[in-house]
Amino acid sequence: MGLVARVVTGGVWIVAGALKITHPDTSINAVRAYQLLPSSVAEAVGIALPAIELVVGLALVLGVFARGAALLSALLFIAFIIGISSVWARGIEIDCGCFGGGGVKTGAASAYPWEIVRDTALLLASLLVAAVRRTRLSLDSVLFDRRHDDVAEGAL
Amino acid sequence: MSSNSKANARQQKAAEMRAAQKRRESRRRILTIAGVAIVMALIVGGSILVSVLNKKDVTAASAGGSAYGITIGKKSAPHSVVIYEDFLCPYCRELESKTRTDLASLAADGKVYVEYRPFNLLGAQGRTYPIRAAGAFSIVLEKAGPEVAKKFHDLLYENQPSETNADAEGPDSDLVKLAVEAGAKESDVKAAIEAGDGEAWVQKATAEAQAAGVSSTPTILLDGKVYQDGRTVDELAQNLLDQVG
Repeated sequence: MGLVARVVTGGVWIVAGALKITHPDTSINAVRAYQLLPSSVAEAVGIALPAIELVVGLALVLGVFARGAALLSALLFIAFIIGISSVWARGIEIDCGCFGGGGVKTGAASAYPWEIVRDTALLLASLLVAAVRRTRLSLDSVLFDRRHDDVAEGAL
Repeated sequence: MSSNSKANARQQKAAEMRAAQKRRESRRRILTIAGVAIVMALIVGGSILVSVLNKKDVTAASAGGSAYGITIGKKSAPHSVVIYEDFLCPYCRELESKTRTDLASLAADGKVYVEYRPFNLLGAQGRTYPIRAAGAFSIVLEKAGPEVAKKFHDLLYENQPSETNADAEGPDSDLVKLAVEAGAKESDVKAAIEAGDGEAWVQKATAEAQAAGVSSTPTILLDGKVYQDGRTVDELAQNLLDQVG
């Protein structure tokens, strides 16, 4: 369960980040379209966010620093849910820019409920990964193998 | 006694070995953490670098420098503003309605030199209005001159069709009506507008905008640099006016 949550959430992040990294102008526009951040901040977020998404995704899929990555992932989903709710409440119709794209898009409001449901599901998955101490097949358990220490001590 | 001290020594040695083992373990742990953190930082840095290298800067000709626009004011004014716009874009209309009067009077006072550059951005998404409207604009500009074209441009924004509803696009005859209202002679523009003769002009204007790196509307250049201070269009409009006023 923890493994599935970790790999699925991580996979989503990798796709979301990778699609945006090569299109910074689109990414900046997508952030700007939320009309929440001042222009220069929107530019920084538009450039930095895809990079963070990619690294959080890789960390989750590989299972390195999985709990930290899961916590960061949860925080990002909370921010996205707030962002989408906010444009919805203000009657702004934009492509969420979740997987590239972004900007004004007519009729986009009909997608908001589903986007919020999706992000909430991924938020819960992230929290699950953060709550479980260790999931199977993670690099963390190779790198920081507690059992290894125990065996070494037991042998003495 | 001696066997006791031997046992003590053994115990002590074992404890030392355990402590050494623990130190090795914790050092290995710290190195691993640092290593992973460095790899992560490199990925983040590399991704940001890729983004920055892919970023296209808008490098448009300064106001008055395009063959596909109209200007108001004098070239010698201390500030210049270029506005790239699409006749169907709602934000462009909002920017227009907030800035038109003020920009016109500032231009008349010699404070700013403004060039409007209409092109086709939204027509690519299956809508014909941006192309038809900008095409009609080019015909009015050619037949009736820049002043009438500016008036026509303003009227097009005041009568902008809904971006959401493709069926609400009026026919070419509506464009002719607005052109006449702006001051063009019906006999000069009617046939050309209804035949869609402006399309080639729109294609060239659009190619020029794309070559300049303009990928959204409205794109504003203040004194040659992209200007986008403000979270909303209203803020943007107000800030722009404050800059040139």
